[in-house]
Amino acid sequence: MTERIWEVFRQEDEGDPMVHAGNVNAPDEELAMHYAREFYGRRGESHRLWIVARDAVVELDDPDLLKPPFDRSHKKPGGYVIKHKLEAAKQRAAAEAGE
Amino acid sequence: MSQAIELPVLDAADRDALAELLLAVADDEFVIGFWDSEWTGIAPMLEEDVATSSIAQDEIGHAKALYELLATLTDDDADRIAFGRDAADFRHAALLNHARGDWAFSVARRYLYETADAVRLAALAASSYEPLASLAGKIRREETYHQLHGEAWLRRLAESTDAGRDRLVSGLECLWTDAQEVFAPLEGESRLLERRILAKPMQAMHAEWQTQVRDRLRPICAELPDASPTPDGRRRRTDDFRWLHGEFTSVARSEETATW
Repeated sequence: MTERIWEVFRQEDEGDPMVHAGNVNAPDEELAMHYAREFYGRRGESHRLWIVARDAVVELDDPDLLKPPFDRSHKKPGGYVIKHKLEAAKQRAAAEAGE
Repeated sequence: MSQAIELPVLDAADRDALAELLLAVADDEFVIGFWDSEWTGIAPMLEEDVATSSIAQDEIGHAKALYELLATLTDDDADRIAFGRDAADFRHAALLNHARGDWAFSVARRYLYETADAVRLAALAASSYEPLASLAGKIRREETYHQLHGEAWLRRLAESTDAGRDRLVSGLECLWTDAQEVFAPLEGESRLLERRILAKPMQAMHAEWQTQVRDRLRPICAELPDASPTPDGRRRRTDDFRWLHGEFTSVARSEETATW
């Protein structure tokens, strides 16, 4: 049998995020489903499984796209200090309410 | 492995008839569970090894629940029933007398057994004896997966290479006659039917199963011969089974007074 790798994601309870659980080898979708069930669901630990052929996954790991060399801090919320602005706004709001 | 269950009151004859039925079903599950557990470590691939072992464990789990119900009914002990009997006292169908054989042989047997068990469980789930009906209902839910898995492998081998298909066909042909014995008549059957403890006669279940299985197997092998259950279908024993019995009782026999 030609085996393929299938990535398995599991959800513990309805509404929880789907979390990567691991992977299984199987020749096709049908057995992949059975094996995913055995490996990641047979103890009653999963509410739902997603079984995805690894070759169907679009992978992006190019460092030029994901970790470019320049400073990226201005793209993060932490790059902006808003503590003082927030305090000033609060005071202004309180003053306006007091008028 | 016993637990207190409050059971409906039955008269002695009804109880004996029910005990015979429970023992037959429990022994089937117990013995196929042990045969299939023989694949642990040597199944065709790692994932299949886990799946087969897990299914075998499920079957032994079903046997455990049935033995417990039987033990409560007859004031016995489930462990004693499972591990304390001689090989000759087992009441599984002759289908389960055969050693596991090669992978295709085990697939053939799983297919024949799972389909027969499904027909039987549907009838047991309709039993007037509530503890049995409720247990059969639970077992059925787990058997859904077993059937999908059994059918997946049957189809896979049937559509694989000539060698795979030939092995599957020879397994099916070898087991066909003994497979009928899952529906072997029970001594107390008429009483069970009268009380609706058994919702359908074995003969009717057998006809239903055979039609279904013949339809499924027609594209795979030549028309299988006429075959029917026989009165001693649950009493015939073989050297293969005596060997397995020696294996699965060896730990219990090693220290008979031990509490496990």
